[in-house]
Amino acid sequence: MGVTIAFWLLAIMCIISALAVVLGRNIFRAALLLALLFFSVAGLYIILNADFLAAVQVLIYVGAVAILVLLAIMLTRDVTAGGALNKFRLPALIFSLLLVMALVYSVLSTPWQISPQAPLETTTAALGEKLFGEGGFILPVEVAAVLLLASALGAIVLVKEKDGKWKSG
Amino acid sequence: MVSAGLALSLWSGEVATAFNGMLVLDGPALFFKFLFVVSAGLVILSSADYVRRFQRFQGEYYALILLSATGMMLMAATRELLSIYVSLELTSISLYVLAGFLKDEKSSEAGLKYLLLGAIASAVLLYGMALVFGITGTTSLAAIAERISALSLSGLAGTPALLMGVILIVAGLGFKIASVPFQMWVPDVYEGAPTPVTAYLSVASKAAGFAVLMRVFFTAFGPPLEIGASWGLLLAVLSLLTMTVGNVAAIAQTNIKRMLGYSSISHAGYLIVGVAAMGLGSAADVWSRSSVLFFLASYTFANLGAFTAIIAISNKTGSDEISDFSGMAKRAPVLTLGMSLCLLSLLGLPPTAGLIAKVYIFNAAVHQGLMWLVVAAVINSVISAFYYMRVVRIMWLGTPSSEEKVPSSGALRAALVISCLGVLLLGILPGVFIRLAEAAVKMFAS
Amino acid sequence: MPWNWFDRPLPADWPGGYWWHLLVFAVFIVGLTLTMVMIFIYLERRGVARFQIRPGPNRCGPFGIMQPMADAIKVLFKEDIVPDKADGVLHWLAPVVAFFPALLILAVVPFHNGAALVDLDIGILYVIAVSSISTLGVVMAGWSSNNKYSLIAAIRAIAQTVSYELPMVLSIIGVIVLTGSLSLNDIVARQSVPFIFFQPLGFLIFLIGLMAEMNRSPFDLMEAESEIVAGFHTEYSSMKQALFYLAEYAHAFGGAAIISTLFLGGWKGPILPPLVWLLLKTVLVFAIMFWARATLPRVRIDQFMGFLWKGLLPLALINLFFTAAEVLVWPDGLPLALIPINFVAAGFLIVVWSGLIKFGGGRVAVQ
Repeated sequence: MGVTIAFWLLAIMCIISALAVVLGRNIFRAALLLALLFFSVAGLYIILNADFLAAVQVLIYVGAVAILVLLAIMLTRDVTAGGALNKFRLPALIFSLLLVMALVYSVLSTPWQISPQAPLETTTAALGEKLFGEGGFILPVEVAAVLLLASALGAIVLVKEKDGKWKSG
Repeated sequence: MVSAGLALSLWSGEVATAFNGMLVLDGPALFFKFLFVVSAGLVILSSADYVRRFQRFQGEYYALILLSATGMMLMAATRELLSIYVSLELTSISLYVLAGFLKDEKSSEAGLKYLLLGAIASAVLLYGMALVFGITGTTSLAAIAERISALSLSGLAGTPALLMGVILIVAGLGFKIASVPFQMWVPDVYEGAPTPVTAYLSVASKAAGFAVLMRVFFTAFGPPLEIGASWGLLLAVLSLLTMTVGNVAAIAQTNIKRMLGYSSISHAGYLIVGVAAMGLGSAADVWSRSSVLFFLASYTFANLGAFTAIIAISNKTGSDEISDFSGMAKRAPVLTLGMSLCLLSLLGLPPTAGLIAKVYIFNAAVHQGLMWLVVAAVINSVISAFYYMRVVRIMWLGTPSSEEKVPSSGALRAALVISCLGVLLLGILPGVFIRLAEAAVKMFAS
Repeated sequence: MPWNWFDRPLPADWPGGYWWHLLVFAVFIVGLTLTMVMIFIYLERRGVARFQIRPGPNRCGPFGIMQPMADAIKVLFKEDIVPDKADGVLHWLAPVVAFFPALLILAVVPFHNGAALVDLDIGILYVIAVSSISTLGVVMAGWSSNNKYSLIAAIRAIAQTVSYELPMVLSIIGVIVLTGSLSLNDIVARQSVPFIFFQPLGFLIFLIGLMAEMNRSPFDLMEAESEIVAGFHTEYSSMKQALFYLAEYAHAFGGAAIISTLFLGGWKGPILPPLVWLLLKTVLVFAIMFWARATLPRVRIDQFMGFLWKGLLPLALINLFFTAAEVLVWPDGLPLALIPINFVAAGFLIVVWSGLIKFGGGRVAVQ
């Protein structure tokens, strides 16, 4: 019962903050609401007994991603003046509504299989085993490491030294 | 300064060490790895001149190309959704940066556009994967196929979420291979990105998309399952749209990079014909798969060759406009000859590889009852003749704007010669390579 | 090894009943935090005064111990001024967002064997996650004040907290490797010898990181008076200003409690009750903090970031590597003989590394 109430509260909070992110005109508030959205998603993870994931979600999304978005906004000039209005507003709205309807229909009308296993009480060890243990997902983990290298390299290339790219015309 | 030579030695080292026991190493994986290595090598050869003009980050340029090649090889060799996704991101992020490498207005626009749309595409792909995972409870492609057949569904109608997942995966990968309606980024990105990167994008990135598309759809949703027919038909419609849009839009282009961008869209359309045939056929049907592989090989050589020549010429003239290629036969006869050969191959005229590839792939489609699609594809090929031949005509018959010769370095010429040899070899001796491709797809490990 | 009779573990729902447990601990944590904040403020003002050879506040009550009370009452009665062009809602919300993580951190700190509001399995990860939220409050304050100094402070705050989280987490991982558990109570229970002896370098890195995270001098760049007025709370007054002040000291208390739990044996100690031990250790850690504040000059922003990326981060990685190697060699608990070796190694590394790092050749490019 308590879990159901918590779920609905968090779900409503998620949807409202997500809508506010998209529809709001003030981009700084949108970014803050994005942090709220991440936070409520972390709450949903806790309801699903994924407490490790929830903590990581808060740490990475609220503590790093949202904060860096805010940093980018603060370093940009006159951001609050820019509006989200353009001529694709109506088509975008219609398309999004259609997409939402399709997704909701397909999710609701599918007979999902629910695992009979009880959820794990402590997920940390199981998660570590799954990622690094025998027959686990070590390959994506390693590829992700290379991916981080590539993105760090790319960030340096793109950000550093804005002038003087060419020796001659 | 890291020279092209050092990068090349790195590259050849990678061929030896790519054999990693953790990944599957079957025929298609080997084939695609070879394709990626060849195209990365040719791109590196052809960028030697181009990159020398950068003041900084020459080494990073090659490093990013190699990193993305690594990602592509992993894409071709993994059989598990999570790994596929992470390797795809590795490829894409390197390519986003490469597209914006020049940091001038056009290049930045290209990089940003590619990044934004690419990020949406990967989100869509991930959503699709999540839905598929939600239904099957596994990320391994082979296990997914087992679970789906265990569900004993009649087509996709029983589980709309699975259908949604498949559609979203098609959409996500459709971005990578630049099929309609996910092709909007192509012309702008191709125009703005550094030309060698454009060549790389149009060839290797597209091939990697097809590698994943084929692996996911053959192994996980493949022909023994009844859903094969559903997505086969979906892809057939996509392919028709893709080639038509690509060819019709290419006619109006005045910038050669944009034109080749649209041409690459239309080639994605021809390639999807083969994948659609794969869905409609049975598991034993080898032709549809091997024809895609063969087409990719011929397309790789032809497109890379054309871009190599463009790099040399526009390095000199400083322009990518088709009108500036006027009379190039007098200023750079070898380059023009090579480029014309490659364009003819893209169009599909004898004695080039393009003809064999098209015949082969259309043949496979006819066998699966896609006659209407093949007719449309042939009409499209005729349309494409218009803009390919226009470039060839301008180059041979136009009047040159100056008498100055166009210089080109040894590395660049080597890249062009290798590409042309590839085009001719595949065109004149197709049997050997077709047998190779057939052997490769028979080894599709499931 | 039970150190005294107080070590008997308390039941998880002490003093009985789910809701009673929550209520008692919630009230206890809030009360304790407010009390400790007052004690900290008093200690710091008197302590720093001693460092500067002056008496410090001594008029209000015996030895001036009522001074924090007087300050609190004074600040409550001040006028609450909100700038004209401020973003009102955010301006109001910012101090709250900055303050509440400090209380949330204390929810998992064990004050006695097994006596925490909740003993989470992911305790320490929860602490890191929650403490990262408080930056949001600073950022909101900086932006909503519509003041360029506040904005600069907020930007500095982001650079500071996001970067300094890395070495902190890395040094925490050293502790986790030693205990094999993320639960704070388990971490304390397994410290037959406080971990500072096995992790001297980790302790130091964590302490420095902590001082930077809660922007204590010499790292108080986001409220550097000589550069940006009062930083992110320039435009704050009255109760909201007090809340920021409160948040700063509550964070200091929370951080000191965490560091005592991780490295100094938490509630463990002979003779005295566990709670007293924890508070004593907390006060000791805080004393080190204001000692540093009274002794060291404020660092420059480029030195500050360079110190992190070139100094702390590599050291933290080396520390983690050595800890992992030690645990691999002695999986059943480290021998005591390692303690002097660890200290010598830490000292050696610090000396060598501090010789290696340079801060932009001592120059700052001003354009």
